[in-house]
Amino acid sequence: MKHSMVSSTRDKLFVTFAAMTLAVMAVVSLFVGKYPLTVQGIVSGDPMQQNVFLTLRLSRTVLGVVGGFCLGIAGFVYQTVFRNPLASPDIIGVASGASAGAAAGILFLSGTLWITAASFVGALAAVLAALALASVDKTGRSSSIVLSGIAVHALAQTVLMALKLTADPEKELSSIEYWIMGSLNGVRPDALWGNFLLCLLCAAALFLLHRQILLLSAREDEAKMLGAHVPRLRLLVLLTATLMVACVISLTGLVSFVGLLAPHGARLLTGRNHRKTMLLSGLLGSSLLCGADILARSVAQTELPVSIFTSLLGAPFLIWLLVRRARSRSV
Amino acid sequence: MLEILDLQAGYGENRVLRGVCFSLQPGQLAGLLGANGSGKTTLLRAICGIVPHEGKCLLHGAPLDGLSAKKLAQKVSYVPQRSGITIDLTALEVVEMGFHANLGLLRRPSRTMTNTAVQALERVGIDPNVNFLHLSEGQKQLCIMARTMVGSSRLVLLDEPESALDLANRYEIFARLKSWMGSRTVLTALHDPQLALQICDVLVLLKDHTVHSILHPKTDSRETMETALCQIYGELRLYDLDGTLVPVKTPEVRA
Repeated sequence: MKHSMVSSTRDKLFVTFAAMTLAVMAVVSLFVGKYPLTVQGIVSGDPMQQNVFLTLRLSRTVLGVVGGFCLGIAGFVYQTVFRNPLASPDIIGVASGASAGAAAGILFLSGTLWITAASFVGALAAVLAALALASVDKTGRSSSIVLSGIAVHALAQTVLMALKLTADPEKELSSIEYWIMGSLNGVRPDALWGNFLLCLLCAAALFLLHRQILLLSAREDEAKMLGAHVPRLRLLVLLTATLMVACVISLTGLVSFVGLLAPHGARLLTGRNHRKTMLLSGLLGSSLLCGADILARSVAQTELPVSIFTSLLGAPFLIWLLVRRARSRSV
Repeated sequence: MLEILDLQAGYGENRVLRGVCFSLQPGQLAGLLGANGSGKTTLLRAICGIVPHEGKCLLHGAPLDGLSAKKLAQKVSYVPQRSGITIDLTALEVVEMGFHANLGLLRRPSRTMTNTAVQALERVGIDPNVNFLHLSEGQKQLCIMARTMVGSSRLVLLDEPESALDLANRYEIFARLKSWMGSRTVLTALHDPQLALQICDVLVLLKDHTVHSILHPKTDSRETMETALCQIYGELRLYDLDGTLVPVKTPEVRA
């Protein structure tokens, strides 16, 4: 068991290091932005500084940390359950549903809170539609969930296009496009806490279900003969992970690559799929989203969409992953 | 006791098995022999409910159909030809999966269970901390066998477990299985009739979508077994080499 103890200690070190990096990023995130904040100003009771800190920076930083953590964990779950290294929440149409919901919110409702709510409803409706469609196939194969996801994704994209056509090009269309590009800007604290509570409950449930998630990585017949009720278990795990993603992207808009990148990073570091790897995946997701958000509000005069920076990191990583796989196959 | 009564199974319109009937006693190691496509795997998968079927499968008089996945796994273990695990897991994590049927939804394997899993792996000569994906196909099969051996099932179904094993491990794994099985019933699909004749108490021969004959290598005469095996594999001779029956395929003479 010597080797096990060594890898366990090494994993703990990775987790500790990732948590420390995240803590540093969170502190930087609190103080970076157009309006300069100082610790002295906040502590001394400067009303403007306190207002910016409490209403803008704190909620934004918490969203970066919790949102990235949830996307990282959800990516780990999706890649394991679908046995596909490129699986992401959109594999069952959640991101497309959220986009269509947000577009409807921008067109027909007013206020950020309602747009968030509409996006959440859209994401949830897409997930439920995909899972209901998949349940028509009584064998419960994961491929039927993927196919249903593709169908729901296509449907949601059609709805989104129709909504864009009816949108006012000057205001509404640009708002829809900006929402789709993703940003942690303008999140109201009152819209935050309900979603966060749900996110934390889902994340806790997924950690508790880690053993079952690994079981789902086996072939369906194999998992069944080990005693798992595969369709029910898969539904529970996917619904929990997707609910968590819906909570996040209804607040942030679409954030590319975090759910794809973080689990791969965690697996590359630990070389396994242990519970600590899942935790590390969440911490890397948080660091990535926080880091991208810091860049999004500091590299240009105007604030840029956060997905630009997550994609900037994600796309080369994906290419590297493909090259690495091709090389390992050719050896 | 395992009883298979008028079992019919297949995939859609394609009926692979028809009217299959046989029974096995507790403590028996039974081999399932047949040409390629004769339905060996389908029969094993039908017994454990993976393939849709009609007819009855009874274990100690109780039907296996309709049991929940967990209850079924507590009674029956099925070892497929290849494990479908494709993510980085240690051999220990793979073997610990064998405890799933006896654990609650949110429970983790206890320390005793982990120790049992480590011992099972040590018995088959595999390091518990090695990455399962880095093992050879034969070692993976040994690891999956170790997973079966930590379970509580009374019926063990094996689908050609010897196919990826070298000669020494082939006999070794069955020797371990026999010393472990006690009053359990083991039904294993096999490719190699020589191995089957040496290790099995009963042989179930499949041909033309059903059970062609049932042999008892320890008591049946050489001639009886030779005739039955010829019906399955074509012309062959069974030679008795110091008490070990060795089948040798002879070229078929065409008129």
